[in-house]
Amino acid sequence: MPEVVRIEYQEELERLEASGLGGLDLVSAALGRTLEAVEHQDVELAQLVIADDDRIDGRYLEVHQGLITLLATQSPVATDLRLISALLHVLKNVERMGDQCVNICKLIPLTGNEPPADEEMLRLILTMGRQARTLISQSKRSFEERSVDMARDLVRQDDVVDNLNRECFGLALEIGDDPDCREWAMTMLLAARAIERIGDNAVDIGEQVAFVVTGLFREFEDASHPNGQ
Amino acid sequence: MQGAAGTTGAEAEMARAEVREPAPQAMPEAAPKAATRRRAKTIETRDVNLYYGDFHAVENATVTIEPNKVTALIGSSGCGKTTFLRALNRMHELTPGARVEGGITLDGQDIYAPGIDPVQVRRLVGMVFQAPNPFPTMSVYENVVAGLTLNAGRVKKSKKDEVVERSLRGAHLWNEVKDRLDRPGSGLSGGQQQRLCIARAIAVEPEVLLMDEPCSALDPVATLAIEDLIRELKNRFTIVIVTHNMQQAARASDVTAFFNLEETGQPGRLVEIGPTETIFTSPTEKATEDYVSGRFG
Repeated sequence: MPEVVRIEYQEELERLEASGLGGLDLVSAALGRTLEAVEHQDVELAQLVIADDDRIDGRYLEVHQGLITLLATQSPVATDLRLISALLHVLKNVERMGDQCVNICKLIPLTGNEPPADEEMLRLILTMGRQARTLISQSKRSFEERSVDMARDLVRQDDVVDNLNRECFGLALEIGDDPDCREWAMTMLLAARAIERIGDNAVDIGEQVAFVVTGLFREFEDASHPNGQ
Repeated sequence: MQGAAGTTGAEAEMARAEVREPAPQAMPEAAPKAATRRRAKTIETRDVNLYYGDFHAVENATVTIEPNKVTALIGSSGCGKTTFLRALNRMHELTPGARVEGGITLDGQDIYAPGIDPVQVRRLVGMVFQAPNPFPTMSVYENVVAGLTLNAGRVKKSKKDEVVERSLRGAHLWNEVKDRLDRPGSGLSGGQQQRLCIARAIAVEPEVLLMDEPCSALDPVATLAIEDLIRELKNRFTIVIVTHNMQQAARASDVTAFFNLEETGQPGRLVEIGPTETIFTSPTEKATEDYVSGRFG
């Protein structure tokens, strides 16, 4: 009977996967606080999110170094190699999603200390943000469970975010006629854009799930050739 | 350890094969560049079963070994990869009680057909062994032309000089030994000795080169030098290499074949063969995945 070997290597790879995917929990928490800061125009909370991004960056560096060490010392191949390649991508997605939260939080002081100027716009932004958090947690679960179906479903979930983003744009044009709302609405458009990018990053993680499982990399949706054109 | 036991007899047989056969044709006037491409021959095996007496060593191996490519045979000890390699130039049958069933062809010619001289097969399908084995009492020069020396009366010194230089250049050894061709081959370093054996093997212009763990006795630098050489030699020969070093298979081969045995006493079987890139990134079979990942020993 074959004897299982390389146990330490396997355990280290599993630890790095858990730690890398754990970065998505950090991002989800950061996005939750970001939405709260937007809702309550809470500048202090926004600054906390900005400062806390160092934790996400630190996770990136730690797991990245661990994966590079495995590549250098263990010569991973086959599924292990695909997993490491995918994790390197996912780490970048995690880091970018953290940065998008920072981008939103940097906008909050720019809108002054007045409460949000438009309830409907605020509702759209918060709904988008909650949907993006769903995407983040689903991308993590699909990776953990190596579920290509769940990963592909991220595209459908991301369509919700994209539609809300378009609604935000239309609403900003409407309320932009009001000089009191204009600056706030334009700032919220930037926030909506940042949330939309977080959704895209979650879909990218789903594509890496499919790569780990199948060995083939295919974009779920090609932004430059929508509808197969 | 059939490899160790078989090596001595195989070495002697190779020496006999080499010395019995004249050079296939007149040597060209100028030594060709080592990288010059020529089409070598294809080996095809069909339902090959190999036995040592009652022991069934390899079961139903059907593969096509493509010309001018390096095909690596990998698998754990006892899986039959070396036995399979030795069947490709009729060395398996040198072991008492050993026999071969099934078909093995070289560019369509059945190498086991009645009337085919195994010595002629071994000239066309050369072998490099695990441990460097230059003839210890011979000089570097004599080692290279060992396959021609019995015919010394028919091969002029100038032709032999050409063969020696061309073969040593082909084996990336010329510059290191050109000033000591009359010194014993056994005085060279391990890596140099192995390149000398490669020079000896290619001196008779074979079609196929079989290599049985050619780097396992060498240090890493000598190993990488041999791997570079293997990549270059595929321009002229079809190469089959048995290796326990999976990274070597990944680095040096174009095609990888994985042999496995389900348990001790069972025959080894070819589990999967494919482009090396595929075998090491997305193998089809779980047994291949487990082996190349080093997950099972």
